Amino acid sequence: MDKNFQEKQFKGIIKFTPPLSKQRYQFIKDLVGKYKPKKVADLGCADCTLLWMLKFCPCIEVLAGLDICASVMQQNMHRLSPLPVDYLQPAERSLTITLHHGSVACKDPCMLGFDLVTCIELIEHLEEPELKKFPEVVFGFMAPSIVVISTPNSEFNPLFPRATLLRHPDHKFEWNRVQFQSWALETARCYDYSVEFTGVGHPPTGMENVGFCTQIGVFVRNYPQTSEFAQSKKSTEEVYKMVFKAVYPSLKDEKYLQNAVVSEVVFTAQIIKQSLLDCLMLEHDKYNDDPTERKSEFQPSVNSEDLGNLDVEKSMEPYVNGNVIYIPLRTIFSFPEVNQLCGTFEKLCMFVAGKVTLSSDGSAVMFSTEHENH
Amino acid sequence: MSGRARARARGRLLGQEAAIPGAGASSVQNILPSQPPSRQQLRQPCVPPSASGQPGGRGRQRSPQSAPQGPKKISQEELQISMGFQEFSISDRDVRRGDSHDLRVNTRQAMEHVKESKTGSSGSMIKLTANYFRLTSRPQWVLYQYHVGYSPEMEARRLRTALLFQHENLLGKTNAFDGSILLLPKKLKNKVTELFSRTRNGEDVKITVTLTNELPPYSPTCLQFYNIIFRRLLKMLNLQQIGRNYYNPSDPIIVPKHRLMIWPGFITSILQYEESIMLCIDVSHKVLRSETVLDSMYNLCQHVEEQRFRDVCAKELIGLVVLTKYNNKTYRVDDIDWDCNPQCTFRRADGSEISFVDYYKTQYNQVISDLNQPVLISQSRRRRGNIMPGPVVLIPELCFLTGLTAKMRNDFNVMKDLAVHTRLPPDQRQQEIGRFMDCIQRDDNVQKELQSWGLSFDSNLLSLQGRVVKAEKILQSGNAFDYNPQFADWTRETRGAPLICAKPLDNWLLMYTRRNYDSANALLQNLFKVTPSMGIRMNMATMIEVEDRTEAYLRALQQSITPDTNIVVCVLSGTQKDRYDAIKKYLCTDCPIPSQCVLARTLSKPQTVQTIATKIALQMNCKMGGELWTVEIPLKQVMIVGIDCYHDLLSGKHSVAGFVASLNQTMTRWFSRCVVQDRGQELVDGLKACLQTALREWFKWNKYLPSRIIVYRDGVGDGQLSILVNYEVPQFLDCLKSIGKDYMPRLTVIVVKKQLNTRFFMQGGRPLKNPAPGTIVDLEVTRPEWYDFFIVSHAVRNGCISPTHYNVIYDSSQLKPDHIQRLTYKLCHMYYNWSGVIRVPAPCQYAHKLAFLVGQSLHREPSLVLSDRLYYL
Repeated sequence: MDKNFQEKQFKGIIKFTPPLSKQRYQFIKDLVGKYKPKKVADLGCADCTLLWMLKFCPCIEVLAGLDICASVMQQNMHRLSPLPVDYLQPAERSLTITLHHGSVACKDPCMLGFDLVTCIELIEHLEEPELKKFPEVVFGFMAPSIVVISTPNSEFNPLFPRATLLRHPDHKFEWNRVQFQSWALETARCYDYSVEFTGVGHPPTGMENVGFCTQIGVFVRNYPQTSEFAQSKKSTEEVYKMVFKAVYPSLKDEKYLQNAVVSEVVFTAQIIKQSLLDCLMLEHDKYNDDPTERKSEFQPSVNSEDLGNLDVEKSMEPYVNGNVIYIPLRTIFSFPEVNQLCGTFEKLCMFVAGKVTLSSDGSAVMFSTEHENH
Repeated sequence: MSGRARARARGRLLGQEAAIPGAGASSVQNILPSQPPSRQQLRQPCVPPSASGQPGGRGRQRSPQSAPQGPKKISQEELQISMGFQEFSISDRDVRRGDSHDLRVNTRQAMEHVKESKTGSSGSMIKLTANYFRLTSRPQWVLYQYHVGYSPEMEARRLRTALLFQHENLLGKTNAFDGSILLLPKKLKNKVTELFSRTRNGEDVKITVTLTNELPPYSPTCLQFYNIIFRRLLKMLNLQQIGRNYYNPSDPIIVPKHRLMIWPGFITSILQYEESIMLCIDVSHKVLRSETVLDSMYNLCQHVEEQRFRDVCAKELIGLVVLTKYNNKTYRVDDIDWDCNPQCTFRRADGSEISFVDYYKTQYNQVISDLNQPVLISQSRRRRGNIMPGPVVLIPELCFLTGLTAKMRNDFNVMKDLAVHTRLPPDQRQQEIGRFMDCIQRDDNVQKELQSWGLSFDSNLLSLQGRVVKAEKILQSGNAFDYNPQFADWTRETRGAPLICAKPLDNWLLMYTRRNYDSANALLQNLFKVTPSMGIRMNMATMIEVEDRTEAYLRALQQSITPDTNIVVCVLSGTQKDRYDAIKKYLCTDCPIPSQCVLARTLSKPQTVQTIATKIALQMNCKMGGELWTVEIPLKQVMIVGIDCYHDLLSGKHSVAGFVASLNQTMTRWFSRCVVQDRGQELVDGLKACLQTALREWFKWNKYLPSRIIVYRDGVGDGQLSILVNYEVPQFLDCLKSIGKDYMPRLTVIVVKKQLNTRFFMQGGRPLKNPAPGTIVDLEVTRPEWYDFFIVSHAVRNGCISPTHYNVIYDSSQLKPDHIQRLTYKLCHMYYNWSGVIRVPAPCQYAHKLAFLVGQSLHREPSLVLSDRLYYL
């Protein structure tokens, strides 16, 4: 990120590559990669871009967004919905994304228990009374392990071509480094956090003394979270309004797991059946002149000669009886895909019961060979 | 499998990739790939999809749009506005672009005789319900359309939106904005409003909001707008958008046997119909596969030899629509690039090089495990401004397959297992639609949104009147047969009756391989059994045993065919397309003789072989120029023309138009030609030539020219109606003029459309039934600016019937609507490959068969020697 800006000193045009907003988000993404938080909240989530980026992070199981403006969230919330593919191939992890309408100056129990809370370009939009309440809400009440706060560095402002007092009309203030750092240190001291300062958006060469364009404080909680403390706060009245909730399909949910197991079992059984039939055909067509048939890798026991085998091994072999093919669940369980999904054989049996046609003793999947191989 | 069955099975190859039919092909939709995701790159032509993560073409860049010009003529301005609005709807990926185009074509106003009424009268009245809901109230206010300009110009739509809605107080919560056009239910104080916003980077932006139009509630643009609103509602109901329609992912039907998943969903559209604006809802199913493209490649790899692997992959995958793992977009696979792999790099928008592996890792946390897989190429089909975006590169491992492959469509078992879930009987279909409407009525958020725009819908399905016309009598050699109109089939009734015209099998060839001798012999013996009652004189065939190789068949053909040969019958051992193609090519072009191919397997079951032999005998007779049956056709001196098209979607190389024209009064003999054209060529010039030769041929047969010509035009895509009206019809008229100075025949052109979302249910009686064959509907659900009607001509055994839509776009015949309707229905009885009523008039089906044969197998126009026979059946 060192030389990621192009600068034309004399015209005074500052352009960041990638754009500064992207750099800020990337900063959070890197932080998530480092600390692997499970629950992340973005305060002032606006168009939900950061949340959208974070939903791809495999460690995250809960994502929440909060904004004072409901319509901006509503316009963009659908990008946080699960994709068709999330249903097609449910993920191992569970993921719930919620969006809430409310103010960072108010406490709501839905924001409790988070590992990481981000406030990207948020505090400068707060009016003074709100800003006053902000530390108590975020550090005192929510009290996540990590808080990230970013805000413009006003020392950088003179470098902008059309220098104005504030970068955005809605900004209530913009701090220089000393102002931000003293506020942050005081807040950290007050709520028993440690804080480190960094930023994104390097100043042009020769102007290093102004500091980063965006200054960032990373706060880490000094004390471990105690559950009874959190419990006591749960009784706080709910003041936020939930505007969006998406629960991603996950294998942690029995319904999706069962679907996945049944699909995998039937599919695996089909493969075994096909190779068994191919083999039989091969026997049958030996005198035929068709060399294109490929010998299957799977060797089923048709008229198995090795009767002396152990019973356990024998029960692994698929077999044909008249028009019916039996494929033992044990055999299917030995396939890594199935094995991984179910974990134990008992679970496999439980999931397929009633969903797949089984032999009378429930030990094998049954297929009729009729209507096939015309 | 007879030639017909084979062709029908393969017919599914045609662009019906994503959804499977509910009943018939009507609920099959062509899924257009979504907004092209690539960024235009100059040096690197191929790039992965952009980061945009949501539907709606967010990532798209607009070319700066100039402010609307001052009003020159009202019509001019209206046109411009509607064009702009069309863009609007495209960006929401919703309203069918083509459809909305067709709706602006008013053909009825030019036809004096249907200005007052276009309804028929014959038949008995029945009460029907249709899958339509009336719009019971709609905004009385005018919709205000504003143009929104930015200075400096802002590219990204999201940014434009964000900047504009910093002024929500002024604009209000109820609005629709596509990045440049803003629709508001209220009028702003000034005609031009200037607003100032600031970006996050501190850049000041001036936004100019200019009133460009006031749209009255009945304007077509407003209707399109209602559709957009409605799609918002579907999103609110947590339906997932795939392609064009919305599906419910929470209760999928899983078909593990084939690794398929079916999502139930809905097709909706709001349009102005004959008397009112209505919402049409139909149930649709989306077939998804829980398998990535890479999985499927691995699978293929295991089953074919190495040297054929790439070919097989191409055949199996090209043309399929895939869903990516990381965004909600669909792409059509146009090519596979075997020289590229995920480690290849591309140039990003900021100029840096990055490999696909790294890109997907950093952008979406998607790990690509197989680094040697090839990549898929998808050509974007939609322009972005004036630039055609470059092709998009997709990684097989990150793409899921949707829809069925050609192989699956041909697999009877797959189709059977799917039909259980997708062929909803009328009762169930109506329930699903009703339940969906309930959801809409009950959901608070949905109702709030509807109310904010002042919209509400009737909660009951539309009731309407239909007419069932009398069943036709089947005339065959002096006999008149009645049949059960419920089944629309007379196979049993006419069995054993002599044909109108039987062609003798004096000198014919029967070719088979040694392995299939038994099948060939069974066919021969059974033909001997069934032909006498039909009146077909039959000699012993010249039996020719050939080796099981394509060249062997061809050599045997060259050696054995004499000028006296009536027909060649080939018993084939498998469905090898190349062999079938080679035989047909030889016998249709090089050495024009009728031919009949039969799969040995079809003849292998002793209990069915006689039935099959009967069908084959009839088919062979038609191919040699015989005639089977007819119905009473009171209209004299009329030539019926059927046109259908075949588009080769896979290679995209050529299109074929099949053209057939009747030669006699009883409509039992047909002349045929076809037009093979390369991409970009106009079809109509070829059609003109076809019509000319058809008239010449008619003259030869009848010694006079027809006084009426009725064209049934099938194969018209969405959005092509205006081309037909403005170009094709005038060319037909021109062609007729060129025949002779005094020759002034009356011309009727009817557009035939099978793929509809319209469903009719018979009222009364439980469970709900399909309307009977012969049901005609020409009110309520027809369109005021067209001379159109629906006919349910055929019968289905399970599932819902899908009516056929007929749109008379040109008519100087002065025939009453009732006559046109009746004639159309009669013609549905005349398709000789099916002893029953079919969905479309026979000439359309003949034209389809011809175009299909030429497009799939011959690739050039067959010899004209055969042109007066149905050799393409």
